[in-house]
Amino acid sequence: MLVASLALIGLTTAVVPLVVRYLGRYTGYPLAVIFLVAAGLLLTQAPEVMRGETVVQSWQWVAAFDVQFTLRLNGLSLLFAMLVLGVGALVLSYAPQYLDPHYEVRRLYTVLTLFAAAMLGIVLAGDLVLLLVFWEITSVSSFLLVAGAGTAGARPAIRALVVTGFGGLALFGAVVLLAVKTQTTDIATVFALAPERLSVTDLSIVAALIILAAFTKSAQLPFHFWLPGAMVAVTPVSAYLHAATLVKAGIYLLLLMSPLFLDFPAWNITLLVFGLATALFGAFEALRQRDLKALLAYSTVSQLGTMVALVGVGTSAALAAAALLVVAHALFKATLFMLVGIVDREAGSRDLDELSGLWRVMPITAGLTGLAAMSMAGVPPLVGFVAKEEAFYSFLDVPQSSWAQGQQWAGIAAAVIAVLAASLTFAYSARIFAGAFFGPLKQRNLYEPSWLFLAPAVVPAVAGLVLGIAPGLLNSIIDRTTVDVGFTMVGSDLSLWHGVSIALGLSAIAISLGLLLHFRRRWVIRWLGEEPPVASGPLIFDRIWFALVRTGSWVGRSAHSASVGVHLFGVGVLIVALTILGFAIIPGATDGLAPVIPDSMQLVDVAILALLVPTVAFLARARTTITALVLAGFVGLILSVWLLLLGAPDVALTLLLVEFLTVVVAAPVLARLPRHRDVGRPTMAAVAAVVVGVSSGLAVWAFTGRRGPSELSAYFLTEAEELTGGTNVVNTILVDFRGLDTLGEITVLFAAALGLLAATAVGVRARKDAVIEVLGRGEQTVLRVGARIVIPLLLIATVVLFWRGHDEPGGGFIAGLTAGSAVAVAMIAGIRIALPSSGAMLAAGLGTALVSALIGPLTGGAVLAPVKVDVPIVGSLTSSLIFDLGVLLIVVGLVRVALERLDGMHIDAGNDTDDGNDTDDGNDLEWDGQDRSSAVDVTEARS
Amino acid sequence: MTLAIAVAVLAAVGTYLIVRGGAVRLILGFILLGHAANLIIIAAGGTFRREAPLVDGGVVLETMADPLPQAFVLTAIVITFGVTVYLLSLVARTAKRSARNAGEGGAHD
Repeated sequence: MLVASLALIGLTTAVVPLVVRYLGRYTGYPLAVIFLVAAGLLLTQAPEVMRGETVVQSWQWVAAFDVQFTLRLNGLSLLFAMLVLGVGALVLSYAPQYLDPHYEVRRLYTVLTLFAAAMLGIVLAGDLVLLLVFWEITSVSSFLLVAGAGTAGARPAIRALVVTGFGGLALFGAVVLLAVKTQTTDIATVFALAPERLSVTDLSIVAALIILAAFTKSAQLPFHFWLPGAMVAVTPVSAYLHAATLVKAGIYLLLLMSPLFLDFPAWNITLLVFGLATALFGAFEALRQRDLKALLAYSTVSQLGTMVALVGVGTSAALAAAALLVVAHALFKATLFMLVGIVDREAGSRDLDELSGLWRVMPITAGLTGLAAMSMAGVPPLVGFVAKEEAFYSFLDVPQSSWAQGQQWAGIAAAVIAVLAASLTFAYSARIFAGAFFGPLKQRNLYEPSWLFLAPAVVPAVAGLVLGIAPGLLNSIIDRTTVDVGFTMVGSDLSLWHGVSIALGLSAIAISLGLLLHFRRRWVIRWLGEEPPVASGPLIFDRIWFALVRTGSWVGRSAHSASVGVHLFGVGVLIVALTILGFAIIPGATDGLAPVIPDSMQLVDVAILALLVPTVAFLARARTTITALVLAGFVGLILSVWLLLLGAPDVALTLLLVEFLTVVVAAPVLARLPRHRDVGRPTMAAVAAVVVGVSSGLAVWAFTGRRGPSELSAYFLTEAEELTGGTNVVNTILVDFRGLDTLGEITVLFAAALGLLAATAVGVRARKDAVIEVLGRGEQTVLRVGARIVIPLLLIATVVLFWRGHDEPGGGFIAGLTAGSAVAVAMIAGIRIALPSSGAMLAAGLGTALVSALIGPLTGGAVLAPVKVDVPIVGSLTSSLIFDLGVLLIVVGLVRVALERLDGMHIDAGNDTDDGNDTDDGNDLEWDGQDRSSAVDVTEARS
Repeated sequence: MTLAIAVAVLAAVGTYLIVRGGAVRLILGFILLGHAANLIIIAAGGTFRREAPLVDGGVVLETMADPLPQAFVLTAIVITFGVTVYLLSLVARTAKRSARNAGEGGAHD
């Protein structure tokens, strides 16, 4: 039932956008019903829980880390789950009446439901990893809901996200530490193993991280400031997330983790001190506010402080009081938020200075507000009173706790602060009621809202009264909760009337002092000052934030240079430093080099070199672009021959084809480029060239050719045929052994093609001046006829090279380049070939490769593992052939994109008519900033 | 030794072209540096075994070239092509814009 309940809410999230289309803002009603059903599902397990059992459901989740998807229901989680779903149902049935008909409800309802699922997940999670995941989702959904308030919500939303995200990181740290030390992430097991596995240091770190996580989530000093800011969100969000549930996640975490720290005084002292400080601070701030929502926000901060302090006291009675306060607070705070929303809607304001005398026109609203405010103020006979009494008892009992060791002053100090906070709470509660509803009526034409609008507020308000009169109803669940947080069953005996006791006396003092503070509020304000005394939280946050942003841009500035030198300088320095470091620390680095293996250099190599060096030298001094391009192609040709001689036919073929295609693609672009004046200083360039050339040559001489065949090489050579069925080892490495690598590489090609499509999206047109058009009639005929012979031959070669690639030189890359060459020849000759668009080809290629990668897993193997099928006549086929087909398609696609797009780019300034929609100013890369100046002398290299 | 000299020459000229600046030189320099890098990888496999790694007629470990660097270089060549093509598109685009700016400026002459 646990998973059914969670899944119900989770799946509802997916359906909400559809339902909103039909029901609009009224989607809240069916959602409320679903929440109640989910609550009902959980309640079917309640009898077991109350008998003392813990309901657990578990599935294998991340097997590699032994993380289970474990859901757990005990008293603590049942209590919180009922709040999440119960208050959720109320708020969702309130929202339809509150929301403006034009409000963007789809986002609101979707994220609210998502949040509810995550919150339910937090309280049901039986595994730390699961808890963490749900924890983060609540932070993100809170961000989305606050950001939904538009521009006003932007900064507060960021503050909320950064602060709670910071806490999420802390929780992550705690989870990792616990998991590493106990070798499990199951919460129950962690608790069982922690005492023996965690040292005091570990425990201190875990405590600090958990406290950070809880304090950020539950808005404790000094992280409180995000909560009042979050009030820019619509009122249902404030009521649900930022009063009743989300901010309680921190309290839940503290309660959940309490068993770890039963004997750890630093935990208790930290929580008690910060909790009480927050309680007092929040109460003062609440009294200062005029905006009702801001007042309620600070009030929430204050109440959360009291809860944290109670968890800090650490006795079973204190933890029971904390749980009770969680319930009481959820009831009265949700009511108050909903009623403030109603007042806001009806009277058009929530400023206490503008509202007055509303009880005359809205008596029911006034009555309900009074009921909830009394509960908050701790006035009998409401549940807030019972909770406050229990809290006073707990604080007075501090000296009896295991950690305070009879320090009487600690109990007195805690109780005094608590009483002061309670009296301030009474004062601002009274102010809400008196300020809005008493005094002269200013707005006469107001009426009570419809009962539909009021009903969701009636339920928790009345529940606060019922539970106040008969708090015993909560005994069993509170008892069970104290057991869950590490205590033996004590048998709570909650009641409204405890007889005359110290706590009652303290209550009386708090209420009298509260009345005094209420009527003398101006004195308090004058004493406090209108503005907060210290720089406010948001201000400090923003200062740190912008300082960080500035630091980031300062660090990044060095990478923004357009000068090649700036980018290369750092790399160069690093290489030199690493080389020196390597010689310094690697043993044997200075022992001298192993001898070069004989036969590494042969006569034919010298011949190749004799061709290569002059060609490259000419290239360096080439005067025209076309000469340089031809020489570059010639360099590639020489290298292809060399590779063939070195025993790399596949590489040689690939290089040959690429050289051809590069020339075809580059020629039209480079030939049209304006010639550049020599800009760099030749001496500098020569020095850099010599340094790079000599050092890389020396490195190759020193580090290669001095070692026998590697083990890996032997492995591939001996195992290739057996394992893959292919005899061309290079191809088997590409498509079988290192298929994942190749998948990555074709993805790079895919991305390059996409980049090309994007960069040339503007100003593309079909080539009009194909090479053939500038030729004479006789030459045209020769070229056309030649092309008609060459193209079919190339296409046949494509098929052959592709088919035999696994066994003999060829394969997807080479076949793809061959097919690309056919397309290039056709283009030069002006012959049209009907083909699917290159974009479709690229997509089909990547898709084919990915699908072939999945054949392995589908047949029980690994991703990309080859699967052999024996086909009659053809022989045996493997799935890597399909993968290679994907490679082929991508390569052809890339070549085609290059040919089509680069060819269509015209650089001439005069007849440039095709780019009227060229609007992307400032997006172009600047090449050293020199191209712009050099464009003045537009000289076509071709002429 | 021969490979080391070839790498030295290719890397030196490639660097020279890139540092001298200008779009054409940049692209050609990039291509030459790519050649140098590929030769380094081939050199790492050793050049004392020069038979193509085709194991159809039986495996002869003593004479067959290391197939792994070959596979690396093969894909590297194709990727270099992809990047070259992309560079070309950027160069063409930039040049086109400067040319048009110059053309617009010249219309007032």
